[in-house]
Amino acid sequence: MLEIGNLHARIADGREILKGVDLAVKAGEVHAIMGPNGSGKSTLAGVLSGKPGYEVTEGQVLYEGRDLLAMPADERARAGVFLAFQYPVEIPGVNNMYFLRAALNAVRKQRGESEMDAGQFLKAVRAKLKLLEIGEDLLQRGVNVGFSGGEKKRNEIFQMAMLDPKLAILDETDSGLDIDALQMVSRGINALRGPDRAIVMITHYQRLLNYVVPDRVHVLSAGRIVKSGDAALARELEETGYGAYGDAA
Amino acid sequence: MSALAEIQPYVEAFKARPPVPEPSWLVQRRDGAIRRFSELGWPTRKQEAWRFTDLRPLQKSSFPPAAAAGDATEADVAPWRYPNAAHRIVLVDGAFVPALSAIGTLPKGAWLASTSQTLHERPELLEPALRETDVLGGQAFVSLNAALFADGFVLALEPGIALDGAIEIVHLGRAANRSAQLRNLILLGPNSRATLIETYAGAGAYWTNAVGVVGIGIGAVLRHVKLQDEDEAAIHFGHNRIELGRDARYENFTLSLGGRLARTDIHLKLDGEGAACGLYGATLLRDEQEGTIATVVDHAAPHGTTREYFKSVAADRAHGVFLGTIGVRPQAQKTDANQLSKNLLLSRRAAIDTKPELEILADDVKCSHGATVGDLDEAALFYLESRGIPVAEARRMLIEAFATEVIERIEDDAVLRAHLSRHVARWLAAGIAR
Amino acid sequence: MTDTTAARNLAPLREGYKYGFVSDIESESAPPGLNEDTVRFIAAKKGEPQWLLDWRLEAFRKWQTMESPHWAKLRIAPIDYQAATYYSAPKRQNAPKSLDEVDPELLKTYEKLGIPLNERAALAGVAVDAVFDSVSVATTFKRTLAELGIVFCSFGEAVREHPELVRKYLGTVVPQGDNFYAALNSAVFSDGSFAYIPSGVRCPMELSTYFRINAAKSGQFERTLIVADKGAYVSYLEGCTAPQRDENQLHAAVVELIALEGAEIKYSTVQNWYPGDAEGKGGIYNFVTKRGACRGARAKISWTQVETGSAITWKYPSCILEGDDSVGEFYSVAITNNFQQADTGTKMLHLGRNTRSTIISKGISAGRGQNTYRGLVRVQPKAENARNYTQCDSLLIGDKCGAHTVPYIEARNPTARIEHEATTSKISDDQMFYCQQRGLSKEDALSLIVNGFCKEVLKELPMEFAVEAQKLLAVSLEGSVG
Repeated sequence: MLEIGNLHARIADGREILKGVDLAVKAGEVHAIMGPNGSGKSTLAGVLSGKPGYEVTEGQVLYEGRDLLAMPADERARAGVFLAFQYPVEIPGVNNMYFLRAALNAVRKQRGESEMDAGQFLKAVRAKLKLLEIGEDLLQRGVNVGFSGGEKKRNEIFQMAMLDPKLAILDETDSGLDIDALQMVSRGINALRGPDRAIVMITHYQRLLNYVVPDRVHVLSAGRIVKSGDAALARELEETGYGAYGDAA
Repeated sequence: MSALAEIQPYVEAFKARPPVPEPSWLVQRRDGAIRRFSELGWPTRKQEAWRFTDLRPLQKSSFPPAAAAGDATEADVAPWRYPNAAHRIVLVDGAFVPALSAIGTLPKGAWLASTSQTLHERPELLEPALRETDVLGGQAFVSLNAALFADGFVLALEPGIALDGAIEIVHLGRAANRSAQLRNLILLGPNSRATLIETYAGAGAYWTNAVGVVGIGIGAVLRHVKLQDEDEAAIHFGHNRIELGRDARYENFTLSLGGRLARTDIHLKLDGEGAACGLYGATLLRDEQEGTIATVVDHAAPHGTTREYFKSVAADRAHGVFLGTIGVRPQAQKTDANQLSKNLLLSRRAAIDTKPELEILADDVKCSHGATVGDLDEAALFYLESRGIPVAEARRMLIEAFATEVIERIEDDAVLRAHLSRHVARWLAAGIAR
Repeated sequence: MTDTTAARNLAPLREGYKYGFVSDIESESAPPGLNEDTVRFIAAKKGEPQWLLDWRLEAFRKWQTMESPHWAKLRIAPIDYQAATYYSAPKRQNAPKSLDEVDPELLKTYEKLGIPLNERAALAGVAVDAVFDSVSVATTFKRTLAELGIVFCSFGEAVREHPELVRKYLGTVVPQGDNFYAALNSAVFSDGSFAYIPSGVRCPMELSTYFRINAAKSGQFERTLIVADKGAYVSYLEGCTAPQRDENQLHAAVVELIALEGAEIKYSTVQNWYPGDAEGKGGIYNFVTKRGACRGARAKISWTQVETGSAITWKYPSCILEGDDSVGEFYSVAITNNFQQADTGTKMLHLGRNTRSTIISKGISAGRGQNTYRGLVRVQPKAENARNYTQCDSLLIGDKCGAHTVPYIEARNPTARIEHEATTSKISDDQMFYCQQRGLSKEDALSLIVNGFCKEVLKELPMEFAVEAQKLLAVSLEGSVG
């Protein structure tokens, strides 16, 4: 589904952050990308989702055989690439429900599906809300406005459930969550695992991986994947830290 | 009096000045300035910057410049002495009085002297600062000052010089129906630092017209305090023009208590990237006092910061005015500016006019402003009364709290905060009629 | 308006006759220029009574002594008032015969706004009387309204049919000499709307000029007078959400609202005149004086405006809060894109006790647009316990535009509470990216965020108006994100 080859990218000030990332993710797989602060994890998520401010200088990314990097951000989203933001953005005045429906219909239109009417939409929403224990009142508020940290993250996973992506990239979704919220979010992610979907989890800590057990674990350090393994690698990192990978923390 | 007749005494006074040997560039500038003043005349309410200020007390009589410093003793200055001053200059009726001053020991590279002495010994310091007298246009009082000034003070610090002790400047007005035309200059070289407390006070119906030019070099820091405590029959105009270089910081606090008619103008330009300014102040007005604070902050470089917070209290038949403009030029991206005007209107015959204005021409900025007008909080008043505090005392306490809240914004200088708070308390102790 | 009235008003205007006062009824227009004869000519052509002619002449004499305003923030080419024609219907002469002759750009815009085909023709100025049966629609409404005693007609008709009402209220809120443009309007106003809601009547429908869009192209110098008698209620919609094709350079309208004791007037405007092209050529100068007076206790006047059009907009819909406990509201969205300039805001004059006012202003600048909020809140000495809350937010899109906030607060009563807040910000890249990552195109993302920014104002509009206004915001901002 996703093939990243020798990916180099730099940020606005010219610093090269990704220095040759290679990664292949197949449909149905869950991959975890771990690494110390500053290793390039968020840059990778940004480059894959088309966030402005990054320049790819070398390498390529194929998504379902297509050149992902040539597509604008909204086109990637409509093609099934979903990014769960580390810091979900507040948009005052825009009703959460209205926003989601606009997004969902944009995605559905792309797939050649009909737009959902209000009734169908509400039904779909209610089913997914339950999964993440989100109150309906949350949907009547502005997008992420006045949400707690945990609510924001749950809202991201809720949107993911609604938009039904093929490739989900979860950027530090576990950060800032207490144990209850973490479990809830993990339940949501696990429910979305399936043979047609690939999930890439980006995380600093191993604890999310206790609840969402990955098929593959990769260590990103100084802009490269330096080690890959199965779930056991994550536990190993938990014990030894990233010291061996160039981070004192 | 007609407009022309009102300004005539000043033009006459200019012509009648005793001959003093002055450099030719200064003579030329004075000639140009009096011409400009004659063209402009007094501002009128049709001019946006003057629409709220009632100039009648100035226009009713004339205030030719005082000929020399009037008699003043140590006791006349004592009530305004700043306890922590390391260097002191006292000017009476616009002229330097060595006997009351104590310049003290200055490090090498620091210059602190009267304007007249500076003109004599270091004219090169003054010449660039006096080059333009009316750059913003329509500033009649600045032009008049440029034509007539005789003295003032000059502080100049060479790069890296830090003055640890505070500098105190006291301007005393003593001569009735005379004006003190003061010209002050502060030049801080890169990475230098100073704290300056200016006090304006006196006795009688005089007019103080002070103009200051302030240049703050790269990375330099100035804390500039103005205590305006003129006689309640006097007129006070103070106009400061400030330019900040890269990463320079300027903090101004203006406590305005006196004057029948008082106006403080602050025109500040953030000319270098990363410059920051903080403009704070409190104005207390009673009887028929007329008080204006007018600020113009011009963000001309990126990453500038402005924090502006002014409070005013109007009791009796007083009239308080706040005019604040923050402008952000197209190149001044990443500006972070904030302006707040809070006002207490205590009497039915008092008035408050406030106009906080934003002019934004760059898009990546964070700018906000706010203004409030209202009376003392009734709930708080009742709370104090219910605890047995007499109503007059309760009101006094709340007004004091209102004014000192902004004084508390002055960081790491308890002596200065206490000094200003003491003057607020003294003003309040004299009472307001309502 | 009845069809006969419409015909009477329009007949003299069908074709231009440029050379004098020859009484060829089919083809008259006043010669260019403005003097007392022009004013007399207009009054005569409209068959107006002497008192109105005298009133116009008084206005004209005042206008002659006035100077056109000095623009603080606006760049404006001088207007030659003598070169204009003050009584004609130029749009009728060159009216396209069918939609095929209409500017395709304009039609594209209508399509985006979802305006039905027959209405599009009407808006584009195609002579469609036969197609778009607005006259009969208007007539139907008129019957319903008449049963309630509501008068809703053209200004000209009101002068003929209800002179006592017009005479009683005309110029009492905006006096003839109020300002340069109001004086000009008072001297030469062509036509406009009049509404009177009798005591205790709640007008059952939104009154709108929309229904007489064909009938009265009242054009440049429109005059509107709305009176809500004691306890009455009316909601009035001005204009129409579609951009009107219009060749007039200067619009100087006057709107006067009068709300008596316990009455409420809600006045909504969606203004989308021609803004000029992307280079800043052409476009309407929209200089409008709008003011309402709450004449009795508990009266309420609420202005809501969405200003997206015109090259220059200069208007300050205001409230004079005379009655105790009266309420004034101003909700505004103003967008300037390309080279548009808007200088708009409100004046809230608190005279009575316990008067309250609310001001919510949202300014959006894009391209090289300049957007100024200018507002005055004045609390007079007798306005015990007056309250005002003002919030002005500016949104900047792009680095060549400007946003200015100029509030004046003048307090003369210690029991007043006045609060003003303003912010200026830009649409953050993060917000745009977040929306795009969820599949929305750049344009849709921008529209969504802008609508969110304007929400507090848009919710004040009547439902169907609000939907169109939302679409209009999107259309107005087209091309402002790269």
